[in-house]
Amino acid sequence: MTGENSETRTRNIRFSAAGVYIQGVKTALASRMAYRGDFIMSMLIMMIVEFGGPVITLIIYNNGASFPGWNQYEVLLLQGIFLLSRGIAFPFFMGIVWNTIGRVREGTFDLLLIKPRSILLMTVVTGFDSEDLGKLIGGILVFRYALKNLPVQPASHWVSFLILFVFSLILMFAFALFMAGLGIVWVGNYRIYDIFMSVIDFGLYPKSIFTKTFQSILTYIIPVSLLASYPASALLGDLDQSVFMALLSSVVFLLLGFMFYFKMVRNYTSAGG
Amino acid sequence: MQGTAVKKGNSPPRVFKSVITATFKEHMAYRSRMAVSVFAQPVYFLVNYFIWQAIFQIRDTVSGFTFGQMLSYFAVSSLVGFLNWDDSGNVLPMLVQTGGFITFQLRPVSHIYYSFFQKVGHRIMAFLIEMLPVVCFYIMLGINLVPAEPFWVLISLFLSFVLSFLINYTIGTFAFWFVRTDGVRRAVYLFTSICSGAFLPLNLFPYSFQKLLFYLPFQFIAYVPVRVFIGQYELAGITMSIPQIVFLQAVMVAVMFLVNRALWYMGIKHFTGVGA
Repeated sequence: MTGENSETRTRNIRFSAAGVYIQGVKTALASRMAYRGDFIMSMLIMMIVEFGGPVITLIIYNNGASFPGWNQYEVLLLQGIFLLSRGIAFPFFMGIVWNTIGRVREGTFDLLLIKPRSILLMTVVTGFDSEDLGKLIGGILVFRYALKNLPVQPASHWVSFLILFVFSLILMFAFALFMAGLGIVWVGNYRIYDIFMSVIDFGLYPKSIFTKTFQSILTYIIPVSLLASYPASALLGDLDQSVFMALLSSVVFLLLGFMFYFKMVRNYTSAGG
Repeated sequence: MQGTAVKKGNSPPRVFKSVITATFKEHMAYRSRMAVSVFAQPVYFLVNYFIWQAIFQIRDTVSGFTFGQMLSYFAVSSLVGFLNWDDSGNVLPMLVQTGGFITFQLRPVSHIYYSFFQKVGHRIMAFLIEMLPVVCFYIMLGINLVPAEPFWVLISLFLSFVLSFLINYTIGTFAFWFVRTDGVRRAVYLFTSICSGAFLPLNLFPYSFQKLLFYLPFQFIAYVPVRVFIGQYELAGITMSIPQIVFLQAVMVAVMFLVNRALWYMGIKHFTGVGA
């Protein structure tokens, strides 16, 4: 009886969302390891690519220029947070975008639809991108480098930072839902990423450098400022009241993302696989 | 008589014209993909606009660039990017991996020329769909898009078009040696983008790095055409007249062509195709 219970428990864990996800990660890693050299090289490149923004910042400051109100390490901290957020989002759930686009084009999206789990879970699970772990390493390195050159922050700053960082990831997920939804109707168009990358580029720099109109758009409409600018301000103890509107906006953005994604899934018409 | 007609039909100019037309028509079916740039590029540019606007609030010049010149640099470099983009570095490895490359070895046209004219067809479409709307956006924003010396700009743009193709195609030839070249291609693509001045004017980099960049071919892809457009060239403390730097660019194209051919012949010897 006890043995049966333990077996059921193991089976439940294995087939839970987390269990299925872990299995997907293992499979993705195993298949990518078939070309280890290329995998390591790609991961390394992903990491180096992430240094692009911070290197530009260093060059700007080394040329005697600066962003008003921000010193070099504060900007690097902001960019480190941005890269951390991207470094978590891209390998762990942003893969739903290329996965959806690729599968819709090939016709294999149908295979996921007939699985006995949510289509969203299945696209996340099969979209784990191991190469993008390089982005995460890059983000950690920039974040650490900036932190080491800034004064130690009190625990309260860290708590508010962590809360805002969670919202940063929520926002990333909302973006992923919009892009994946678009990928269902805009067949085979990987350039959807370009739209996303161009928009989130605003998040790589302090909010204060933009005009008031753009600041409002980036806070209330598409809260890109929440990706890094607000979490960095929280960590540096310089948060303003507009953050609450940004948080609300991110939740609305996520709900809209879910609605959009599932509407697109409902509209999906298979052409066979 | 019939033989003459066949010969005429297969003459290189006709074949290349057909390749250009076919590529244009093929990609026209997916024009909405290209049209993404009409949204993405202005957004990227706006980010740059705000960055430099903030920086120039405190200073009048950065590494010799005024605010207007800096904006012109980014605008023109993005247009050069549109003009030069090509996929030959991806297509050749894919053909080698799938075995489709064998069919090209049987055709009476060398693959490099076929691939080059595919780029021409593709970029003609990019000119209409990507470049023209973006140019309109820049003009609306008041960016100076009047070249200092139009004649040299045209020559420099043509040379950068050829050079970027040769570099990409050369990267693609590594597929003859490696099964998967994604990592290598990404590395070279990143290195090329940084060293060509596509992200940032090269004279903003540390002086020792500028010296190295001067001897590499990458500056001739974006930095040189943009500086020719602006009308003055300077890198690592070296100043040159526009005709001089364009001449150097032509020399680099010739060198790159020879490097590519040498690698190609070594690669072909190494290549073994089984079926297609």
